Amino acid sequence: MVFGMIKLFNVYKNFGPKNPAIVDLSLNIEKGEFVFITGPSGAGKTTLLKIIFCSERPTSGNALVNGININRIKEKQLAFLRRKIGVVFQDFKLLPNRTVFNNVSLCLEISGVQYPIIRKKVHQTLRQLGLSKKERYYPPQLSGGEQQRVAIARAIINNPSILLADEPTGNLDPEITIEIMALLEEIHQRGTTVLVATHSQELLKDTEKKIVTLNKGRIVK
Amino acid sequence: MKTSFIKYFFRQALTNISDNRTAHLLGVGTIAIAFLIFNSFILAYVNINHWADEMGKSLTMTIYFKGQPQEIEVEELKSELINIQGVTINKFVSKEEAIRSLAKELGDKEGFLKGLNENPLPASLEIVFLKADREDPLPYNIKKRLEKMDIVDEVHYSEEWAGKIEAIMGAIKLIGSVLGGLLFLATLFIITNTIKLTVFARENEIEILRLVGATNVFIKAPFLIEGSIQGLLGGLLALIMLLAGYVTVMIRADFKIGFASLDIVFISPHIAVFLLLMSMIIGLLGSSIALGRFFKA
Repeated sequence: MVFGMIKLFNVYKNFGPKNPAIVDLSLNIEKGEFVFITGPSGAGKTTLLKIIFCSERPTSGNALVNGININRIKEKQLAFLRRKIGVVFQDFKLLPNRTVFNNVSLCLEISGVQYPIIRKKVHQTLRQLGLSKKERYYPPQLSGGEQQRVAIARAIINNPSILLADEPTGNLDPEITIEIMALLEEIHQRGTTVLVATHSQELLKDTEKKIVTLNKGRIVK
Repeated sequence: MKTSFIKYFFRQALTNISDNRTAHLLGVGTIAIAFLIFNSFILAYVNINHWADEMGKSLTMTIYFKGQPQEIEVEELKSELINIQGVTINKFVSKEEAIRSLAKELGDKEGFLKGLNENPLPASLEIVFLKADREDPLPYNIKKRLEKMDIVDEVHYSEEWAGKIEAIMGAIKLIGSVLGGLLFLATLFIITNTIKLTVFARENEIEILRLVGATNVFIKAPFLIEGSIQGLLGGLLALIMLLAGYVTVMIRADFKIGFASLDIVFISPHIAVFLLLMSMIIGLLGSSIALGRFFKA
């Protein structure tokens, strides 16, 4: 039986009375799926990811993520759910005053993992992403592509069930874009459910993955 | 709690302090000044209490005679007093001995006494009450009895000083409590604002920590440790300044009440530890208020 990893039922999200971001959206994403969320700017892609990530709560409707109803989630439960969801932000959201190593180790530190294990896992992940030589660098010392890879390393270090990526290649040149997409594909191959929000038609060309197209907060395709 | 968490909290707290050195130094300095004022009151209170206790340990009474008493009268009085349990005779000072002793005390200024036509100092008898406490009515009763005697002019006893000291202690307690309350609020305000500044400076970091699944306890703990360290350092600095002041004063000054030297003591280690703990608790409370407001917002 296939397990519904993300289920949304008639979800609405309004930012003010005349500003609907998501309108009557129902969606079912199975475990291990790779889904592209696409649409023009303001279509509701980021809001949808934020709802899945519990950074925004639906105005109405229900959303189940990893079997948890996020409308009724408590603060502590929310923290634990977020540890199962890796997120790659368009602006990376790295801590500029912490080294690459410390940015990536953060997710393990919050789970109380012992330092020798943290060291081993961070080294392994950074090596996998080609960042071994950069672990003592600070994010401002890295290129955009390298920062994005650090953000991916941080998102996957906990072996999350779900990986959300919001415009992961938005600011990157074509070569780095191919590299980042190959990484996301590799993570997907390990069984992680991957959702990528993008407005780039280039990325969707020739893909066989599931594509959800949004416009003005509604699924149009 | 896991040791890895504790290590992380302390490491983060120390990093926060190091990153906001100037704000923290100012905070610690201001806290130290507030605590120095408060601790000075504690020191004054401790000393006055100490003096009152010392006086209570050996309650002395001085009987001043009218003119020069007959030796037989003095001896009669001595034997009467010595029969009272707990009373011992310390010494009889004749008018001549009294003026000689004063001349010795005056040293170079002895010449003042040469202009006197007659010796104005009275003869006196000093008695000591062993193990008398301040509540014991015996010295007071004896004083009343002695004052009725023809040969006795005046009777003074150290309990009267103790009474005055108790009144001063009461005033210090009152001023100390009011001032202590105000300083407590001021210190709390300083710590709250210093921590608030560091919290707002790290708003981005807190947001990212939340996004990667950190619990509120995990986010707050380093800030609480930071506030406690700041309070503790302020308290420690205040104690060091107080000790330095105490040592300086002890070297340069000789405190007297009348002709008796006063022994000045420093606050006991127990009180010092209590004051340090209090400064730490204020730090903890201040940072907790700062975080409460931030997390509510």
